[in-house]
Amino acid sequence: MALSLPPGLTPPEIAFLCEMELVTIIPRQRLEGVELLAGPIRPLHPPHRSNIPLWLALLLKRQRRANILPPPWLNTHSLTAILDHETEHAETFSPPPRLPPQPSSNTLPTSPPFLPHSTADAAPDALPYHWLELGEMLLEAASDDFEEADNVRKLLRGLREVRMAKLRSGVEVLDAGGGFKMNGVGGIEVGEGRAFITGVIDGLRKIAASREQQRKDRDQEELENGYSGTANYDDDEMDMQ
Amino acid sequence: MSAYYDVDAILTDAQKVPCTFELTVPGLGFLEGNMSGDMKQGSKVELPLWLGEMLALSQSLDTSSLVTIDPPSALSPRVLNALKADPRTVDLRALAPHFYNLGARILELFDEEEMIEVLSQTFKARAALIADQAHNPRGALGEGADFMRGLDENERQLFRAAHDSAKGVRTWMTHLKNK
Repeated sequence: MALSLPPGLTPPEIAFLCEMELVTIIPRQRLEGVELLAGPIRPLHPPHRSNIPLWLALLLKRQRRANILPPPWLNTHSLTAILDHETEHAETFSPPPRLPPQPSSNTLPTSPPFLPHSTADAAPDALPYHWLELGEMLLEAASDDFEEADNVRKLLRGLREVRMAKLRSGVEVLDAGGGFKMNGVGGIEVGEGRAFITGVIDGLRKIAASREQQRKDRDQEELENGYSGTANYDDDEMDMQ
Repeated sequence: MSAYYDVDAILTDAQKVPCTFELTVPGLGFLEGNMSGDMKQGSKVELPLWLGEMLALSQSLDTSSLVTIDPPSALSPRVLNALKADPRTVDLRALAPHFYNLGARILELFDEEEMIEVLSQTFKARAALIADQAHNPRGALGEGADFMRGLDENERQLFRAAHDSAKGVRTWMTHLKNK
């Protein structure tokens, strides 16, 4: 009857999407360029840096053909600063990285996997969308490329805890018709919070269903009686919040 | 509102609500345990919600309905006051296994703004606690055991959802290490 998978993406699926992110590597071997559906990969010339998708970087790293340069936000200094920001601002998440200026008409527009949020010249003070997945994968595959891998791992865990606690405490402000600000929340966090948050909203809507029905009936009546209802409707909306 | 085959909806409808008969009904005494007698006017009987609702809403010829429904004891003012005082300590499962669904059905019949407010606040406050329990792997045996036993069916589903998604992420992380 029902689909066996829950709605949304599972963590492995989110991680799969994350593997499209560009990371910076220092190749150890000369490699020919490859033409792929997702775009060409330029020839690798050691010791010149190159930006390639994460899946290829992990593959080359496992074969010891390249070293990965961790993005600037993935070190103890930046993560500590972000963690401080998270604990100081109990209400909001740390802001996502700024988007580049609107590309001019003759360049290709950029979308998340192709934004250089995780390359060596990314902004050091903001967590990109795939921060947790990327961080975990890099720490697993290339921990020897980090200066203090254990501390970075500890900070990532700390950040995850702080942010999940915020996401959970967000239900206090939820309403049957209300919203919840999720600016800066990462991909895997959305996947983890989805089932719970939608469950809470569904439950609240069920409880307030009779009120909603009343409001609908009233709106219907006002619509039939003439145009005078619009101002009232706004007032009601304000009362609901 | 709910699907025809939804087990939870069926179980919600099977919960008993107190009803008062407004008319004397011949031969209906078996509802009271009186096998051959009549149902006297003014007698109070606990009827399943679906039956009580049908009898209360069906209009007879002289426009007075057969029974009137009273709010069930699970939603009495005493319980609502307890929920207002502290939503976390009330054992909802003991009151009604489908507490919120029952509340929603009752609210379809009665117009009570305050009850909506109390139930919403209760649900929110308890949801936050459920989330904490779901993310804390030893929560089921620790200090929250009493609270977890008192969850109603909706809240249990919520707990399962939150627990499963947290588990999914943890499994992915350990899988990453074993690769």
